[in-house]
Amino acid sequence: MAVVAPPRPAAERREARLELAWRGRPGLLGWLTTTDHKRIGLLYFWTTLVFFGAGGVEALLMRTQLERPNNDVVSPSTYDQLFSMHGITMIFFFIIPMTTGAFGNYLLPLMIGARDMAFPRMNALSFWIFLASGIFIYISLFMGMAPDAGWFDYVPLASRAYSPGSNIDFYCLGIIFNGIASTLTAGQFIVTIFTSRAPGMSLNRMPLFCFAFLAASFGLLFALPVLTVDTVFLFLDRNIGTHFFDVAHGGSAVLWQHLFWFFGHPEVYILIVPAFGIATEIIPAFTQRRMQAFPLVAIAELLVVFIGFGVWAHHMFAVGMPTVTMVFFAAASAMVVIPSTIQVFAWCWTMVIGGGRFRTPLLFIVGFVFMFVTGGLTGIMFVAIPFDQQVTDTYFIVAHFHYIIFGAAVFPIFGGMYYWFPKVTGKLYFELPGQISFWTIFVGTNLLFFPMHIVGLLGMPRRQYTYPDGLGWGAYNLAETIGGFLTAAGIVLLLGNLLVSWFRGEEAGPDPWHGPTLEWSTGSPPPEYNFAVIPKVSSAYANWDHEDREEDRRRLEQGVLVLDEGNRQVAVTPVDGHLSEIVDMPHGSPWPILLALALSLVFTMLVIERYGAAAIMGVLCLLALVGWHSHEPAEETA
Amino acid sequence: MDVAARPALPRRNGPTAALLGMAVLVASEATLFAAMIGTYYYLRFETAVWPPRGVPEPKWVVPVILVAVLVCSSVPMELGSRAAQQGRLAAARSFFLVALVLQAGYFAYEVHDFADQLRETPIDRNAYTSVYYTLLGADHAHVFVGILFVVWLLGKLAFGLTPYRVNAARVITWYWHFVNLLTIVVLATLLSARA
Amino acid sequence: MRAGPCAAAATAVLLLAGCGGSQNALAPKSHQAADIASLFWWMMGAAWIGLAVVVALLVVAWKRRARGAAAGGHDSKAGERAGWYVVVGAGIALPIAVIAALFVISDIFVIRTTQAPAASATRLTVQVVGHQWWWEIRYPGTRAVTANELHIPVRTPVRVDVQTADVIHSFWVPALNRKVDAIPGRTNAIELEADAVGSYRGQCAEFCGLQHAHMAMEVIADPPARFRAWLAGQERPAQPPATAGARRGADLFTSGACQSCHTIRGTSAAGTTGPDLTHVATRRTLAANTIPNDPPHLRSWITDSQEVKPGNDMPNLDLSDAQLDALVTYLDNLR
Repeated sequence: MAVVAPPRPAAERREARLELAWRGRPGLLGWLTTTDHKRIGLLYFWTTLVFFGAGGVEALLMRTQLERPNNDVVSPSTYDQLFSMHGITMIFFFIIPMTTGAFGNYLLPLMIGARDMAFPRMNALSFWIFLASGIFIYISLFMGMAPDAGWFDYVPLASRAYSPGSNIDFYCLGIIFNGIASTLTAGQFIVTIFTSRAPGMSLNRMPLFCFAFLAASFGLLFALPVLTVDTVFLFLDRNIGTHFFDVAHGGSAVLWQHLFWFFGHPEVYILIVPAFGIATEIIPAFTQRRMQAFPLVAIAELLVVFIGFGVWAHHMFAVGMPTVTMVFFAAASAMVVIPSTIQVFAWCWTMVIGGGRFRTPLLFIVGFVFMFVTGGLTGIMFVAIPFDQQVTDTYFIVAHFHYIIFGAAVFPIFGGMYYWFPKVTGKLYFELPGQISFWTIFVGTNLLFFPMHIVGLLGMPRRQYTYPDGLGWGAYNLAETIGGFLTAAGIVLLLGNLLVSWFRGEEAGPDPWHGPTLEWSTGSPPPEYNFAVIPKVSSAYANWDHEDREEDRRRLEQGVLVLDEGNRQVAVTPVDGHLSEIVDMPHGSPWPILLALALSLVFTMLVIERYGAAAIMGVLCLLALVGWHSHEPAEETA
Repeated sequence: MDVAARPALPRRNGPTAALLGMAVLVASEATLFAAMIGTYYYLRFETAVWPPRGVPEPKWVVPVILVAVLVCSSVPMELGSRAAQQGRLAAARSFFLVALVLQAGYFAYEVHDFADQLRETPIDRNAYTSVYYTLLGADHAHVFVGILFVVWLLGKLAFGLTPYRVNAARVITWYWHFVNLLTIVVLATLLSARA
Repeated sequence: MRAGPCAAAATAVLLLAGCGGSQNALAPKSHQAADIASLFWWMMGAAWIGLAVVVALLVVAWKRRARGAAAGGHDSKAGERAGWYVVVGAGIALPIAVIAALFVISDIFVIRTTQAPAASATRLTVQVVGHQWWWEIRYPGTRAVTANELHIPVRTPVRVDVQTADVIHSFWVPALNRKVDAIPGRTNAIELEADAVGSYRGQCAEFCGLQHAHMAMEVIADPPARFRAWLAGQERPAQPPATAGARRGADLFTSGACQSCHTIRGTSAAGTTGPDLTHVATRRTLAANTIPNDPPHLRSWITDSQEVKPGNDMPNLDLSDAQLDALVTYLDNLR
């Protein structure tokens, strides 16, 4: 070969070999069989955007219904399905898959200097299962049989006696189905973070973004099984006559709540901790300063999830628990404030001393800090048990958690969309429309959610499809509705801006922000092999270590850690990040999508109560697994 | 090739991704069972008489012996895994086969017994029977998955030994250690109704 | 620019206390609700201060914008030591102190003044049973049974035992006290003690199905003498129909569909699915505070209850105009 082609520098030759080894299949088939974490990240991104749109439309329909007293835009039954699906969608089909699935998948390997996730095929499987579960649960909405007992689905309202239709069966199975995808993703991240970092990236040199995703993954790993158990019990109660939640036969309705919130509260942190991770990337990039109090912030990210497992019963203060129990959980809930305040002041101080460039991504982070602090302060109020019992299940709570979930989780997601847009597309977004979109969304969300505090205190309970005149709620509700549509307009502007920029934007170059972490050291968009050479890492802000990046270029010339014989990546020791082995990665496989397909047949058979057929489909799943494992990537352990 | 030009890099042994992956799976399954066992005790403390009147106490002699037999299968599993790591294919196959016989024997009897118990006392009697059968059934399901793993592994080993299969042998052995421990915990939980 | 909406919002919140909606948690009419409301005002004051501190930091950051490069970029150590002080001081020490104080005040002191009294510690105990979607109200020790209208004597502590007949509901009268859930198989209690004669609106606060929005009630605090008279009236069986029309209505009620779900004490009607109608005409509203209780509304409720409150258990009865007149006449005289 060298005889025919003109002599080229060694580096280019190596890059060409990598290009050849990692190139995906062209066309649709390439997308269906891909195991490239970037492509899977993009698939997640587009899919979750669709679900975000659906959840948003549900929200706007509800706001339209509540715009004035005694309105009847939608029927009570439709309204119940709307608010249930809005919650389920935004939590399980937008925020978790958007943060872990899209941002995590695309960025995490890039940040730790890896070429792919530790289990690339399983990564594809997560996505296809996620997509199938989303379709599964949305089919129910179009059949008018969507879950209608709220996202927390309390029994006995959700039991067969009071919900005879298939609505709640869709809920149980959809949640379990989706939980498989999230569990796979969580395990994927944990193993990838512990084994696939670039050599030299000991845990203390890992970007805070990765700490946040590690924390969220541990949260998912230990919280989701409890929800699975809860929904399995409910499915059994409804379909084979067990009595877990049936008081008349020795069961307990409160058991559902304990299990649900044991999952449900950590879930809140699972939603926002990745957003914290996004904030800890954007702030250093635009202030050009390392995060202040780095070790404390890293510990706080992990601690918030850990303590989050000990506070679930504060969702149940009105259930009638013994005072001692309530006081214990109130104290634990007070403790969980501390890791959050640590982070808030670390973010703020970094911005203060950095003197940042307030471009759109940083504006969203400023908005996020404001919203998170507002929602956090009302959150602290729930430590006061009597006050909690006064406002729980009112719009005050709705205001609080939307400040947290929209303000603290979605704002950083928007900021992150702008921030990494140049990396993913290679184009710059337009700044002025970007800033306008921020201000529209910021004003819109505050107009949407702030009055909810007030109507809550004025006595308006949640989840009512209408309300009477004369209680002083009308004007606030109208303001909220206007805020809702303003927010929607801002989001449309944001997405429109990004869409136009994709085609018309200026070339961004590899590192338009002078970003702190490794994703900015490679091309925009990154090549399929991510890095031509496994990067050298000696700090958490690796892209700012210019000598290391020079070293990478030398290594590429010399052929050190280029690993261009096939699809290879390094594995390291979990804590210190010492090189442990070179592993061959699978590359492209039809089995993940086939397995997901077989699994969705299982769930479809279960929901129509064809248990024998479900078992047959289960055998199909096993066959798909055998097929999957018929291809053995070689592992060089020498 | 550039191999010659490459300076040697220092290496240290770490757990493989497969082993960590199994650890993660085990952690997730352990949480699943923790939630079910938590439910068991929650329902128990909400109920005055446990097991409720009209429901027989769980039998203990045969289940304890059977679980002891099952737990013994950890030994051939571990020996098989080590043999595989040392490249002794025939030994590995025999050890896994012995383990499979123990596991399948246990499973066959338990499934039979489970069906018998169900006929005698149906699952929809009360909350006690609900949690009893669900917990026991979930444990049996994990045993069944383990058996599928070993069958698959033996199938793979029929065609020789590769680093991939050695890895598989190690993680499946780990899974079985977990399942055996789990079975002890589940049995202890269910038998606590006798006290 | 950030201060603008905040100040407006602050004003809005401050106006709250004055606007006295009948379901307003911040217009307390009992010492319990007053304690909770003042707890809220203190917390809200502290929250605004906390928010102001963070906003001030953000404003400072904005004022110092675009100085990053000049300050020496990412290798600069300036401000790092101060950063540790800020994070440890404002992020750890200060919140611990504030939250500890909040915890002690609310969960040791206020919780005591607002919690339910021990069983039989009060002179009067009322039993409230949540149904989809109405409230059954009983006065243990008497035969009085009513619905959606809880009468209590003013300035008298009353223990309310809350139960459910079906799904989870939540009993909540914001102007009087915190809420408590109605859980299957359990009895939870709450204390009501109204400071002033008047009517206080309450509403189910836990989602309980299709008509959760229309499951309200009224707590009516009367002077003790008037309360006793009311209770005595409620204890009596229904008065027999006085006119021919009413008699036809009574016959229709006891022979037709009505009696299978409703009780009228003193007649053969003894259904338990729906509210006790023995003294229905004394109540101010129908369908759990959904419509006023007057003959036209009563008539529309009987013929079109599924229009008024879709999904409730009451069928749309197919009655002739004459039958309807008789039924309304009868029910409207059940005082």
